[in-house]
Amino acid sequence: MRFLLEHPAPNGLDDLVRSARAAHAAGLDGVLVTEWRELPGALVTAAAVAARVDEVLVAAEVELGTRHPVEIAEEAAVTDLSSGGRLVLVARPAVAAPERYAESLDVIRHALAAAPFRFEGRYWRVPANLPENVDQPEHRVRVTPAPAQPRLEIWGAGEGRDAALERALGHLADADDDTADLAGAFAAAESSPASIGAPRARRERWRGAADLLERLRQGRSCFGQDWACVVAPAEAASEIGSLVRPRVQLDRLTPGLEEFWDEQRPWERGRP
Amino acid sequence: MATSDRIGLSLWTMQSTAARPGLWRALYRRLGEDAQLAERLGFQAVWLGEHRVWYDGWCPAPLQALAHVAGMTSTIHLGTAMFLVPQHDPVAAARSIATLDHLSGGRVELGAGLGYRDAEFDALGLRRDRRGRLMDAGLDVMEAVWRGDHGDPPPVRRAAPRIWMGGMADRAIARAARRGYGLMLPQTLSVEEYRRIAADYRGRAERPGPVGALREVWVSDDPAVCARHRERVGLHLTEEAGSWWALKGRFGFEARDQVDRQVARGVGQIAAGGAEQVAAALREVLDAGLDYLALRPVFEFVEQAELHEQLHRIADEVVPLLERAGQQ
Repeated sequence: MRFLLEHPAPNGLDDLVRSARAAHAAGLDGVLVTEWRELPGALVTAAAVAARVDEVLVAAEVELGTRHPVEIAEEAAVTDLSSGGRLVLVARPAVAAPERYAESLDVIRHALAAAPFRFEGRYWRVPANLPENVDQPEHRVRVTPAPAQPRLEIWGAGEGRDAALERALGHLADADDDTADLAGAFAAAESSPASIGAPRARRERWRGAADLLERLRQGRSCFGQDWACVVAPAEAASEIGSLVRPRVQLDRLTPGLEEFWDEQRPWERGRP
Repeated sequence: MATSDRIGLSLWTMQSTAARPGLWRALYRRLGEDAQLAERLGFQAVWLGEHRVWYDGWCPAPLQALAHVAGMTSTIHLGTAMFLVPQHDPVAAARSIATLDHLSGGRVELGAGLGYRDAEFDALGLRRDRRGRLMDAGLDVMEAVWRGDHGDPPPVRRAAPRIWMGGMADRAIARAARRGYGLMLPQTLSVEEYRRIAADYRGRAERPGPVGALREVWVSDDPAVCARHRERVGLHLTEEAGSWWALKGRFGFEARDQVDRQVARGVGQIAAGGAEQVAAALREVLDAGLDYLALRPVFEFVEQAELHEQLHRIADEVVPLLERAGQQ
């Protein structure tokens, strides 16, 4: 299982950098940044966090539906390139235009592939070929630059679940999403071989290591959860890394190993 | 040390061209390294351009690239020359700019440009002939977002960043004057044109902002090196104009003589030569009434070591001459 750390209420870049460093130190995969108060541009924030902290993944959650998806694809590509290929793009349906979500996902996927494309949907037409734009009209458009990652991760989130799963994309479930409901949705997606390996993530509120461990074991057995986005302060990272993460990697642990770990209690001796 | 609040550097575009291919992610890493050196040398800002849907990957998202720079640096300002306002969702753009301004500690210099390539507008479903209207409407929305009266809750607390209107057309000057923005002029103008436009703008503005210009520079005591640089800039500009200009329904390359004339005009404005020569050329421009220069030694065909040597020479030799002249 992979782990992202999400700061519950960052006051600025420094809070997010502290989170990312704590995640790095604790062996967590990365951080998730969202559109938040003074930092409402998640991809801008993600690019800055990635510049300050090496190696961690930086997931950015954006709203999808109101803005032109080509513009979002370009911003994602530049953020991915400037981070050296560490972006995960999490797309939540815009409250103002949920009906445009699925089509927007399709345009973004075309735009992030390194080939010219044409898209004629109900809401988006790319290129538009407007009669007023007479000079050098193109039949197909190539969005450049391509992201650093050959296959940039795009996840759905929130109400975008079904659209994301239909496209064999990953999905970030909300903390309160019903486990049985998720299990049904992911099981339905499983009928497509293309969905193998598509991330099954859920936000998890931090209420201590024992609670998180219980939830992750449940998520793993019920809907195949393989990513956890833990909404927790930076200080929780070391507990997640040393108490939770090792316990959810294998299907089962050697009898006696957990008891052995408990005896060591490395977190109380200032390690790792 | 440069240490001048009126000298910045331009123009990072992260292009991977046929003339000088580059790995895009390496070009973005270089951007951060270049900006760190520029900061150490005391330049006021690094300026990035914006274009889209072209083979060379010209950076279409300068705010995200500048966020990378913001994370790599601590004091140098982060400029766009230009951010193509009509080609962006204004609410999202305002929020991204506010985010960049907030996380960088107020270092944003927002140059706002119209854009001119039909293909860029068409890719985004926009009419190019509406770009002036889109600019005004976009700026209105962006200012409203920055005032906090758009959306709930207001996304920003910090005031608007410093804004520069790009361009030299009468409407651009009028727009800058009316809105109280600075003016950032292109590199292709003569000293007399700079003088006339700066005076015109100041005459029209109630509270004029700064007037700046992009200016291509190359410092070398070897005339052959300078000639070679001019030639390479000429080829760079020819590719751009040949591919992007639409001249009465023809591509630029199909009207090569017109492209060549314009490129020659541009190349003629490059300040190339020894430090004293370059400083003298730049002083002329400043003396024409300009407050700021975004010097451009950055092109995709300039290797990083070569660029860094240029930054050192500009900072150590050219800027002191300019500042000395300014104090007299």
